Amino acid sequence: MKKNLLLKSALATATMTLIAGAANAEEEQNKTAPASKEQAIGDWKFDAAFLFYSESDSRVSAIEPVFNANKRLDEDEYLNLKLTVDSLTGASPSGAVGSDQPLTFTRPSGNASYTVNANEHPLDDTFKDTRVALATNWTFPVSETTKAGLGANISKEYDYLSASVNGNISYDFNNRNSTLFAGLSYAFDSIDPVGGAPIAFGRMQPVGDPQNKLSGSQDKDTLDLLLGITQVIDRESLFQFNYSYSMSDGYHNDPYKVLSVLDDQGNYFDDGIPVANVLFESRPDERTKHGLFGRYKRFIDGDILDASYRYMTDDWEIDSHTVDLKYRFTLDNGDYWQPHVRYYTQTQADFYQPYLRQDQALPQFASADYRLAEYDAITVGLEYGMKTAAGNQWRFSLEMYNQTPTEPEKYGALQQQTLLPDWNAVMFRVNYSF
Amino acid sequence: MPLCLGSITLSDDILPMNEALHSIAYKDSQGFITGHFTAMAGPCEVIIETSDQALADKVTKTVADEAWRIESTFSRYRTDNIIYRINNANGEAVEVDAETARLLDFADLCFQVSDGMFDITSGVLGKLWKFDGSSNIPAQSEIDKLLPKIGWDQVSWSNPKLQIPAGMALDFGGIGKEYAVDSAATLARAITDCPVLINFGGDIVATSAPISRQHWLIGIEPLALGQNKVPPKVALKHGGVATSGDSKRFLLHQGNVLSHVLNPKTGWPVADAPASVTVLASNCTQAGMLSTLAMLQGKDAEQFLTAQEVEHWIQRR
Repeated sequence: MKKNLLLKSALATATMTLIAGAANAEEEQNKTAPASKEQAIGDWKFDAAFLFYSESDSRVSAIEPVFNANKRLDEDEYLNLKLTVDSLTGASPSGAVGSDQPLTFTRPSGNASYTVNANEHPLDDTFKDTRVALATNWTFPVSETTKAGLGANISKEYDYLSASVNGNISYDFNNRNSTLFAGLSYAFDSIDPVGGAPIAFGRMQPVGDPQNKLSGSQDKDTLDLLLGITQVIDRESLFQFNYSYSMSDGYHNDPYKVLSVLDDQGNYFDDGIPVANVLFESRPDERTKHGLFGRYKRFIDGDILDASYRYMTDDWEIDSHTVDLKYRFTLDNGDYWQPHVRYYTQTQADFYQPYLRQDQALPQFASADYRLAEYDAITVGLEYGMKTAAGNQWRFSLEMYNQTPTEPEKYGALQQQTLLPDWNAVMFRVNYSF
Repeated sequence: MPLCLGSITLSDDILPMNEALHSIAYKDSQGFITGHFTAMAGPCEVIIETSDQALADKVTKTVADEAWRIESTFSRYRTDNIIYRINNANGEAVEVDAETARLLDFADLCFQVSDGMFDITSGVLGKLWKFDGSSNIPAQSEIDKLLPKIGWDQVSWSNPKLQIPAGMALDFGGIGKEYAVDSAATLARAITDCPVLINFGGDIVATSAPISRQHWLIGIEPLALGQNKVPPKVALKHGGVATSGDSKRFLLHQGNVLSHVLNPKTGWPVADAPASVTVLASNCTQAGMLSTLAMLQGKDAEQFLTAQEVEHWIQRR
């Protein structure tokens, strides 16, 4: 028998694991996100999820199957592969304002047109795409207290390619009660819209007229940095704090978003061209974001409280606050109910404009994209999780999302139109881990 | 006070627990409320430093429920639990729950660090050895028949799947009670900050030192009434105390006293084992394992515990 002090400390560690097992297992489960069942070395674990997403007023709807495979290579070494397929259909606000006259727009391809009825909010119904994304991640121990991860992602849509590589390192100290985390990621995005990307502030042309379109693909580089600390406060609670930095350089425009050009009466300015007078948007070619994130997690008699707050600010002047609350009620048989509430609010980008005026000078940048406007959003949801006799897990989650934008200032005929309507979405997700 | 604690003989005289026996009695004295109940084949007590009877009631009920839960979950005498499924799987793999998995991981570690001396597959030896103070020694041929059915290294354990050869059996008797004390203490801590002492038949945990005095005082059962050397009382502030050994459980063989601690490799009692070993450690499971491993050391028990730098008390006959 090993008659040394190692035995006592080995027993101390092992008994702590044994006794505190239930609470720790929960934590571990959240750390190595996809792995919910304890996994032996060499074993694969799989998660299959299916998401159904539908926005109100026949806007976007999506179905998204996700398949995740996780292999435990060694004690603290995992390989993760994730395949996501998105299928989107529906219509999205183009940025144009409504009018008391029917409006005709050219489709982004330049090969067809569509008409929006009088007094209707203009939606571009060309929104139809399938995205396939593959992500791989390898986590491995560097030393007793240090873990590292390396990953790569690639995502392809009909007109869009995104590829990224990332690395991270985490260091446990203070008897593993504290963990420092640093991550770095570089992404390359390339968009090649059908019919070419429009020139910034280019006038939408009638069908068959290719002017004002760029040739070739448009690129963007993004660098993300994350620094974080997780601190175990006591046996039941932990606190997490992150700082994130993101810098992107390149083509930031949405090639499908436009701004209406209005006259002094609030009507579309008639320049004689037989499609609605709209210009393609123009955004800065750089963006720098800073984020602060705090999270508090507490185990309460088998239940789990998870509260977090995020503050984001960027040099486009969008400041946002997110408060997220989840509470997991654990039932006697181990199943759980988890209500979820999230509140989000953001200020508008400094170049956000709901429309342009013919009688005013063109600004350097402008976009009427509703995602850059000032709005509040609230999400409420409920998740139910259950384990099968074999230890596999089902999770069902239903969430409702409501976005309430601040309606911009209007004048003249425009006062009859709603520029930024409220909208809702429903998300239903089924997840099976085995 | 300590009952029968060794890993092997514990369960010999345990009968299936009758649910009707699940009752609790209370005693109030000098700022402490004590709840008594019976679990794991012995008297159990919960001492809470409070005058709040409702609180004491809640803590004691929680602790007792946990003791009864663990007892029924891991008892070898039930047919509706995981131990029955494992021991009757006939060589098939059994998928176990997370708690059983943690106990198996722990048992595996104990097997490794003890070079195979602590073995949860050795419970079958209890069928042969009856430590009743007599000199009824089982025949060597009987022992030889059982030895191939012992050995954790014949078990395939890959969480969550456990596969044991047909004919072998697991017994958590050597760790179950200590684990139950620690697990109950975790639940008690979640209910109250008041100092609580939990005692399951000599396996003890104190959640914190008492407020009104310096420490808890734990008595060690003497070998015999009226003996010259009275064992000292153990001062416990917080942590766990466990005792292995039992003065009343031995056999006489060729003029020697055989202790009830069995060596899973030979199937015979460990030679020159102490009559009892008491260890104080940070929790009860750790204390229990250290005292069991010390017993298995036989004549080297003292040396072993001294090297581990833990507070301990050893009684020899």
